[in-house]
Amino acid sequence: MAATGMYNQAIGGFQSNSHINKINHQHKFNNFVSLVTKDFINSYCLSRRDCSVIQSLASQTSVTDTVSSPLRSKTRDSDTHKKSNESALILIRHGESLWNEKNLFTGCVDVPLSKKGIDEAIEAGKRISSIPVDLIFTSALIRAQMTAMLAMTQHRRKKVPIIMHNESKQAREWSQVFSEDTKKQSIPVIAAWQLNERMYGELQGLNKQETADRYGKEQVHEWRRSYDTPPPNGESLEMCAERAVAYFRDQIEPQLLCGKNVMISAHGNSLRSIIMYLDKLTSQEVISLELSTGIPMLYIFKEGRFIRRGSPIGPTEAGVYAYTKRLALYRQRLDDMFH
Amino acid sequence: MMMVASIFKYQPMGLHGWGIHDAFALAPRSCTNFEMFFSMRFASCNTRHHKLHGLHASISHASVFHPTSLSLSHHLSSKKLLSTQLAILKITCIPEWCSAISGCSDFVCFIAEAESTLILIRHGESLWNEKNLFTGCCDVPLTKRGVEEAIEAGKRISYIPVDIIFTSVLIRAQMTAMLAMTQHHQKKVPIIIHNESEQATTWTQVYSEKTIEQSIPVVTAWQLNERMYGELQGLNKQETAERYGKEKVHEWRRSFDIPPPKGESLEMCSQRAVAYFKDFIEPQLKSGKHVMIAAHGNSLRSIIMYLDRLTSQEVTNLELSTGIPLLYIFKEGKFISRGSPVGPTEAGVYAYTQSLAVYRQELDENV
Repeated sequence: MAATGMYNQAIGGFQSNSHINKINHQHKFNNFVSLVTKDFINSYCLSRRDCSVIQSLASQTSVTDTVSSPLRSKTRDSDTHKKSNESALILIRHGESLWNEKNLFTGCVDVPLSKKGIDEAIEAGKRISSIPVDLIFTSALIRAQMTAMLAMTQHRRKKVPIIMHNESKQAREWSQVFSEDTKKQSIPVIAAWQLNERMYGELQGLNKQETADRYGKEQVHEWRRSYDTPPPNGESLEMCAERAVAYFRDQIEPQLLCGKNVMISAHGNSLRSIIMYLDKLTSQEVISLELSTGIPMLYIFKEGRFIRRGSPIGPTEAGVYAYTKRLALYRQRLDDMFH
Repeated sequence: MMMVASIFKYQPMGLHGWGIHDAFALAPRSCTNFEMFFSMRFASCNTRHHKLHGLHASISHASVFHPTSLSLSHHLSSKKLLSTQLAILKITCIPEWCSAISGCSDFVCFIAEAESTLILIRHGESLWNEKNLFTGCCDVPLTKRGVEEAIEAGKRISYIPVDIIFTSVLIRAQMTAMLAMTQHHQKKVPIIIHNESEQATTWTQVYSEKTIEQSIPVVTAWQLNERMYGELQGLNKQETAERYGKEKVHEWRRSFDIPPPKGESLEMCSQRAVAYFKDFIEPQLKSGKHVMIAAHGNSLRSIIMYLDRLTSQEVTNLELSTGIPLLYIFKEGKFISRGSPVGPTEAGVYAYTQSLAVYRQELDENV
């Protein structure tokens, strides 16, 4: 059994019969140890480990970075690496915004959620309440950020999302955290404009009806549904995909590679673009792809590949909860912690 | 209509992004600052009115591009002011509004009674409040309870006009504002203004005047952030007391001018918060805009210290409830505290001022 095999590896490093140790994450134990640095962001690699024994171990090790990539860990213990190199990727599309309600083209205009959008975010949160999250990426728009924060109020692990501020030196200094314990109990949230909704140019703020009147139905349909035709002063889906996928590959995928469980809270078009990359869709296929709002999508990243696992079941849906053994064990641990 | 559209295209970028909602045209009689009036950059929408049903007395941007504006002096009498304002309104405003204005005799009395509302909301429980950790400027979101508090606060202010919102840059204050506004009876849409880069400004542009008119700009400012708690940020209150000693910690938390290590004292926080209020928020109130500020315990206390002219002793004892909005009326340059708007389950005759009562009546009728 992959799971128990990993347990033994992990537990070998320290002795404890503590209840928590028995139900362990099987992640790269070696990577875990090596990534103990004083750096604020890096310390989040550790945040998945919940037991206090591991925390004390972490503080004893020196600041080294001997194993920083999956390849290197392979030489140390290839079995461990293979079995543990699995991370969860959750994609959430935000729910109804106040302009959706009014049927206006929104694009990058920073419009908040409606009451319905708020409920959708909370429902989405319930669906992912037992899936581990180490790191959150959102767009720079409030509706995606609110969706992430509202969803996380439902999470059972009770770690605290903290939004990272990098806009200026003052912002960085002012938002510094001075407790290691607290950092370990935190989930960094990174806001990136590259995950923003497709920018709709001169259609932003326009009523869908009046736009059809102004430009003609076919033209509007073309802008909305084609792959590479942008509205005036706006982005085509292709342009949106370019910056969203580039960001994903540069900033998000490395995190998955090092074993972090990631959640992305974003928008219809930026998420379609990412899914196009994950599922290797053609431009034709991506145009017809519609993402439900408020229904999170789960991918497992394993051995460099993305495996689509559909949507975590809602709290009222019957079904055996098990996406992978690792996730099932994580959930079990949460159950044990809180019951 | 075409003129308005072309003016819109050329509006300068700046503090308010797509330049929405600076001073409203119909300044109170006591206002002699013409410059303020003409520094507006785009259509402002002030829904405060007595009998002008549905009139969104907006004027389109007039300043830089309008021929008459530059020649006006500061010393016009208020009568002349009015007629000039009306003239400009007629030239530049959207046609369907012009007829409403010219036909209305109540226009004048409307100006005479200018007053604006100021709502202060302190955000509710955050995830670190729950864990009893010092938060300061760490950007920690609301708990479920904090979300509910925001919605409750929103119900209390659902009948009070809001033209512009100011928040800090921290998510707990922004969420509080957005959640509260989902409860508002007036169906305008808050839109957060982005000015962090040129791209941010261009990408967030809105291309429909009608939509802009139905929007409430939300301005985010670090100066409204919570007091920065330096090396205490993230620390457990218990362990801090153990590390530094109870009295020391008490002193940092409750004194006026002693900052925690690498942090701000309440005095330092007040300095930047009140300066921001005077420079950016008060002018809005002076021009008749109704303002809501969603911020934090210390930044709001600082502002209240200014509004109520409290001493440093009094302000250190001031505790603001979370989720219970505070209402001030700004009239003739003075701030009048009006306590907290009644909650939905609280009995009471709703009437803070006549204009607020009339506003509420209109909302009821429109729905």
